[in-house]
Amino acid sequence: MAALIALPWVEPDKFALHVISLIAIASIAAMGLQVLLGYSGQLSIGQAAFYGIGAYTSAFLTVKLGVPFPLALIGAGVAAAIASLLMVPITRLTGAYLAVATLGFSIIVYLFIKNEEWLTGGSYGFIGIPRAELFGYVLRDPRSSYYLNVGVAAIVYFVFARIEGSRFARAINAIRQDADAARASGIRVTLLKSECFVIAAFVAGLAGSLYAHEVRYLAPNDFTFWKSIEILIMVVIGGVGSLAGAILGAAVVVGLPEYLRAIGDYRMLVFGAILIATMLFGEGGLAALVAALGRRLCAVAMRLIPKLPASRKAAQ
Amino acid sequence: MSTAAPGECLLEARGVTRRFGGLVAVDAVDLAVRRGSVHGLIGPNGAGKTTLLNLIAGVHRVGSGLLRFAAQDITRDSTAKRARAGIRRTFQNLKLFGEMTALENAAIGLHAQTHGGFFDAVFSTPRHRREERSIADRSMAALHFVGLAGLAQARADSLAYGHRRLLEIARAIVARPALLLLDEPAAGLNVTEAAHVSDLIARIRDEGTTVVLVEHHMDVVMRVSDEITVLNYGRRLAHGTPAQIQEHPAVIEAYLGRAAETDRAQA
Amino acid sequence: MGALSLSQFIDLVVGGLAIGCVYSLIALGFAMIMRATNIIHFAQGEVMMLGCMCGLTSLWLLPALPLPVVIAVGMASSGLIAVAMELTVYRTLRRRRVPIMNIITATVGMSILCINAARIIWGSEPLRFPELFATSAYEFGGVRISPQLFWIMVMGVAIMGALQLFLKHTPTGLAMQAVAQDQEAAQLMGANLTRMMAYTFAISGMMAGAAGIMLGSMFFAFFEMGFITGVKGFVAATLGGLGSIAGAMLGGILFGLIETFSTVFLSSAYKDGIGMILLIAILLVLPSGLVGLWHKRR
Repeated sequence: MAALIALPWVEPDKFALHVISLIAIASIAAMGLQVLLGYSGQLSIGQAAFYGIGAYTSAFLTVKLGVPFPLALIGAGVAAAIASLLMVPITRLTGAYLAVATLGFSIIVYLFIKNEEWLTGGSYGFIGIPRAELFGYVLRDPRSSYYLNVGVAAIVYFVFARIEGSRFARAINAIRQDADAARASGIRVTLLKSECFVIAAFVAGLAGSLYAHEVRYLAPNDFTFWKSIEILIMVVIGGVGSLAGAILGAAVVVGLPEYLRAIGDYRMLVFGAILIATMLFGEGGLAALVAALGRRLCAVAMRLIPKLPASRKAAQ
Repeated sequence: MSTAAPGECLLEARGVTRRFGGLVAVDAVDLAVRRGSVHGLIGPNGAGKTTLLNLIAGVHRVGSGLLRFAAQDITRDSTAKRARAGIRRTFQNLKLFGEMTALENAAIGLHAQTHGGFFDAVFSTPRHRREERSIADRSMAALHFVGLAGLAQARADSLAYGHRRLLEIARAIVARPALLLLDEPAAGLNVTEAAHVSDLIARIRDEGTTVVLVEHHMDVVMRVSDEITVLNYGRRLAHGTPAQIQEHPAVIEAYLGRAAETDRAQA
Repeated sequence: MGALSLSQFIDLVVGGLAIGCVYSLIALGFAMIMRATNIIHFAQGEVMMLGCMCGLTSLWLLPALPLPVVIAVGMASSGLIAVAMELTVYRTLRRRRVPIMNIITATVGMSILCINAARIIWGSEPLRFPELFATSAYEFGGVRISPQLFWIMVMGVAIMGALQLFLKHTPTGLAMQAVAQDQEAAQLMGANLTRMMAYTFAISGMMAGAAGIMLGSMFFAFFEMGFITGVKGFVAATLGGLGSIAGAMLGGILFGLIETFSTVFLSSAYKDGIGMILLIAILLVLPSGLVGLWHKRR
């Protein structure tokens, strides 16, 4: 935690801070999908729709209506959440059928964004989005926007971490494992599944708004099926079910290509392969890998450290 | 949970029928379950016992007929709605939440009795804290009741088969339902474990829960049931006390007749 | 808008039937794989695209190649690619008994792999097919039909007819049907599961390849063509009744007509949206498709 706060002072490279901002923004959307996929077991490949709705709403509110940024941020989340209510009937579905329905929904949203030029600028893009502004202070440099983006990501992380072990978490976990058994215990399955969609949509909308004010230019091509897949890849690579994994996944998916320009064009190819590999070789993802590594290190440390006082005792 | 005087009919099925394609699984069956009793449901394989149980639980829609629970018509109600009204069940093939601990499995049974949601959890409201404590206590009590207290923190899919059956029951009774539907709770258990389940069912009844018991273990059914209904080929064949059923000529024929048929076929 | 003239109407019908044949072939693939393995093969559209690309490449190498050979090349390549997918990835996942969601996610990954491999190999520009058909319209009793659309329909029907014959009247075809209905029983009867699964993927791949060539010659070929058309093929399969082969064929034709006629009422920019709305509507209202409706009525 302290490391995150101190980082911009240690590594003031503007590009690095910008990349970390993008990672933070992506991780917010990924954490939302984690609630959907990892916690309640609903595969949604349409999160880009809410991401896009959030981005364009925030842009519209600040540029066309002069709404101050904090309100626009919340407004973006709310707009995405309201749009997700359209998905409520779809939450009756399960498995691949649900996935395809979310895909269909996101395609409709994409078409809307692309064609309604009067609202979104269509293929010409939405330009001139102002920088984020908090209480009159314009976030002019990468360092300030770093704090904003990482800050929001941290808040989202802590909010989601709070629900662990609660009645709500148990219920959606139960739905994921056996929806019929959940029903037999009186759980309102569709209602809870819908709740998860609304939550995931809201944070995706927040992420979209942050994105809009970070890159300050929106084009429909940023919000296609590929964006949804990217978010899915973040969750899968990081580890389905792990909140920290979503962040790790975001770091890999967003961060790696920025630093390995050689990958560039092959980016999605590599990610497709990693997706398949993760399914073949274990779904813990990076989070499980890191956890396993951590355990190994601890075990090794345990063996080394007692040697010191023990050997001293033996010498006595 | 519901209001019906003891001895009165808590669950009533009238002329309940259910078809699957061309097969009539349950054929105009009448059933009257008295409050505070253990009502056994037996019959040869394929008689329609589990289907009838599923109809009561709301898994299948009734084709024709009427279901009344505590004087309310529940024929069109969903499974979750019936569960909230006080009808809980176990499954023949065990539907536990394998990745959760025994305690968490039991806690699921209390979901409908509590209200705390997403925001309560995030802000740790008084309601949230109060409910979580109550849930933990009552879940533990349920595990205690079935004899699994020592395994509360064990993952459900790591438990031995006999313990999994007990956990399934614990989850179903933690909310003190008015009506408990048990679908072959003793299936695959040895003699000692089956006897433990019989005692458990009797204790559940003594606590005030009415039980409908579908079971193949005859010793369990005969020992613990107050009344028994026998089904054959989807129709009600007989109804009475265990003693009466054991002497009932049609029942004996149904079971023995089947055995004789199989013997003849194999000869 | 006004009323349609007869010739406009005929054009729409012919266009709808032609694209419907394409959708049917893709839908067939979805249905066969769904019946055999219970998964939605997200990469089916990409199999179609790769078949199209291979066919086009063969035309570049040998420009004088006659149409039936091009189609055969396309079908063979897509069939092989589909089998490769099955033997390397899907079979391994099934053997490991991973949850179904993982297999579906793997097919999504496969889809991504194929699309990007195609982009690297063939570039991101749309590619035109050379003229494969006569240019002047055929005339049937006063009605004029474009030869391209005519032959696409003929070939589509021929291929689907051949498939039906194969499935119903050859030992292999019957064995495949048996495996789709009950794996254990079929194995006890002596069916080689691995081989049958491979055949299933091979045939559905071949169907997709034929569809790809048809689609490519109607419009153009590009690396992402499999994506939206694949989804539409899935819509068609669901409309007919997922898991039913006859349903897939019916659903494809029907959806082709619906989509083509919808351009009369809607701006073409939202044409793809029709399919998506139809998909969601079917999943919610009539999940077992038209075939399911027919069964219920009996």
